[in-house]
Amino acid sequence: MSSIKEKQLPNVLMEVKGLKKHFEVKKGYFNKQVSYVKAVDGVDITIYEGETLGIVGESGCGKSTTGEMLLGLLKPSEGVVKFKGKDMTEMSKKELRDIRKDIQVIFQDPFASLNPRMTVEELIGEPLEIHTSMTKSEIKNKVIELLEVVGLNSEQLKRYPHEFSGGQRQRIGIARALALNPKIIICDEPVSALDVSIQAQILNLLKKLQREYNLTLVFIAHGLPAVRNISDRIAVMYLGKIIEITERDQLFGEPMHPYTEALLKSIPVDHPKWRTNCEPLKGDLPNPANPPSGCTFHTRCPYAQDICKNKVPNLEEVKINHFTACHFPLKQ
Amino acid sequence: MTEPLLDIKNLRIRFRSDEGTVKPVNGVSFQVNEGETVAVVGESGCGKSLTSLSILGLVPSPGEVFEGEIRLQGKDLTKLKKNQMRKLRGNEISMIFQEPMTSLNPVFTIGNQMTEVIKLHQQLDKKESINKVVEMLDLVGIPEPERVVRQFPHQLSGGMRQRVMIAMALSCNPKLLIADEPTTALDVTIQAQILNLMKKLKDELNTGVILITHDLGVVAEVADRVVVMYGGEVVEEAHVNEIFDNPVHPYTRGLLSSVPKMTGSVEELGAIQGSVPTPSQMPKGCKFHPRCPIATDLCKDEHPNLEETLPNHFKRCFHMEGGSIYEQHKRETTT
Ligand SMILES: Nc1ncnc2c1ncn2[C@@H]1O[C@H](COP(=O)(O)OP(=O)(O)OP(=O)(O)O)[C@@H](O)[C@H]1O
Ligand SMILES: Nc1ncnc2c1ncn2[C@@H]1O[C@H](COP(=O)(O)OP(=O)(O)OP(=O)(O)O)[C@@H](O)[C@H]1O
Ligand code: SF4
Ligand SMILES: [Mg+2]
Ligand SMILES: [Mg+2]
Repeated sequence: MSSIKEKQLPNVLMEVKGLKKHFEVKKGYFNKQVSYVKAVDGVDITIYEGETLGIVGESGCGKSTTGEMLLGLLKPSEGVVKFKGKDMTEMSKKELRDIRKDIQVIFQDPFASLNPRMTVEELIGEPLEIHTSMTKSEIKNKVIELLEVVGLNSEQLKRYPHEFSGGQRQRIGIARALALNPKIIICDEPVSALDVSIQAQILNLLKKLQREYNLTLVFIAHGLPAVRNISDRIAVMYLGKIIEITERDQLFGEPMHPYTEALLKSIPVDHPKWRTNCEPLKGDLPNPANPPSGCTFHTRCPYAQDICKNKVPNLEEVKINHFTACHFPLKQ
Repeated sequence: MTEPLLDIKNLRIRFRSDEGTVKPVNGVSFQVNEGETVAVVGESGCGKSLTSLSILGLVPSPGEVFEGEIRLQGKDLTKLKKNQMRKLRGNEISMIFQEPMTSLNPVFTIGNQMTEVIKLHQQLDKKESINKVVEMLDLVGIPEPERVVRQFPHQLSGGMRQRVMIAMALSCNPKLLIADEPTTALDVTIQAQILNLMKKLKDELNTGVILITHDLGVVAEVADRVVVMYGGEVVEEAHVNEIFDNPVHPYTRGLLSSVPKMTGSVEELGAIQGSVPTPSQMPKGCKFHPRCPIATDLCKDEHPNLEETLPNHFKRCFHMEGGSIYEQHKRETTT
């Protein structure tokens, strides 16, 4: 797979600046006072055309919320989301509708996201019916073509989602997402619910489609090995913030943020001969409704100094194309 | 050779209903020695949980063990009466589950629940059992155990609850601990803590452990021996290094090459074609044949036995003698 460096002058497809989403939560039943969960708390990302950007982090760190704002499904509390240079938060309804064709989504649970009363033909054909002026037979042909692209076949046109296995349903979801020739697909944990052997099928399929259609993918997952397998660049999130973002091999070879380092050490080894007795990262994830001051990682960080408790570190380009938010970035 | 701690022989479980009979566990044999961690791996529905539930006599009805033996230090557990089995549970054999919340009672404090378990199986008074609880919570790395004793399950994080479950499971010094996907619901940094804990406890307590998982990384991290299941059967069993270095069953090989790696070059994953069969659509012959890259007519018609083809290395496949045919097939398809 080519890295974005090899491609000449990558075009920026989407850009996110100062993105925030604070959810209001009531403190108690009688208590009128509200507090906020800072689900996404100041995220900057540039997404280049044709790349696969992985977003990793542990549960509740704000991956899905970020994804929903990229899709335009959730209104940011603050910040801008630009698609091809245009701010989506300032677009008219019509403009947004047009753009939604270009930004598609694949979810974790293909069963929950597919209407159980629709046949495969209807499910995949629906976006074509809504957004194009294709005739019924044109749609049918396109649906058959899409089924073949994702490794299903025309005999399955009249079947319902429950008649398919988890992996096949995910293929249906992918076909549906591809129907309108989108520019970018946001994949939110697309393989997390699948068996290992089926995960591999879907990862291979996504990589193949990405190459063939020059798609841009955002691949959200908590499983680092899968993210490593598919991504050109990877962003690591912790409590609503991106704490490190760089090219894949750079991230795995030279992690600069202490959290990334700890995360990499937490992943089980590939082979029993590589077992170590190193001490895992201590402590639990803090509550996002009440995040620690300064660097939100300071409560678990083995390198934390006084400044980490008080001052929020900015995401800075410490090396070319390697950004990290830490007062004391690691040196290899 | 000394007697194994647990010896499962040709275990079969069936569910009978109006639609017919399914046998989701159909010929499972393996052993667990003292102080040994045996990982049972396989994809969803292959019978891992049912196998472990049968050891405790907890197969949900209308399911039943209809053949086979489960011997704990020689004693056949399938022959025990209900009350004998109840005494054994939590005492000689303990179990921890994927979602600790389902096995913790939300209305009692951690201290209450744990002393209950301890008093049930050990002659200790109230003060002694509280001390024991604190000691156990400390052992599994819970900070401030005296405070946690007074807390309710919902006040703890997922990782803490799983630690409590482990402490509870170990509080009666069981000979055998069954852990069914103990880290699947946890974040990776918390998973690493729990796996680290399990490694430490194994060294300290000499408990035999059955670790059920679908995650080969977890296997690589903690297992001594590996039992690979497919379609209700054991298809391969060997020492963990042997499984990773020299897997002989095509399913094990497929599984290993499906897993994205943390090291080395990023390649196309070696996915296994097709999908995981359910018990009602189990093919005849070798159950893996519809997905197997080297299946022949023999595999479609005949059912292979589990055989020890290398020392301490068992496989259920007609064609894999040290993997030669597989290598040949791979050469043919890649050239
Ligand atoms: N509608 C909502 N109202 C209140 N809080 C919310 C809402 N949606 C998400 N949150 C909170 O925002 C935080 C981020 O959630 P998000 O779903 O984006 O995390 P995630 O990284 O996708 O996690 P996971 O890996 O579990 O999917 C969490 O603490 C979550 O509880
Ligand atoms: N009560 C039941 N009635 C009928 N079939 C059942 C019942 N419980 C389990 N099964 C079947 O038995 C098979 C094995 O189930 P089991 O729970 O042991 O699988 P598993 O290997 O633990 O899978 P997973 O990885 O999904 O936990 C499954 O295919 C399931 O459909
Ligand atoms: S800023 Fe400080 S606390 Fe945060 S990761 Fe860096 S060293 Fe650790
Ligand atoms: Mg999510
Ligand atoms: Mg199970």
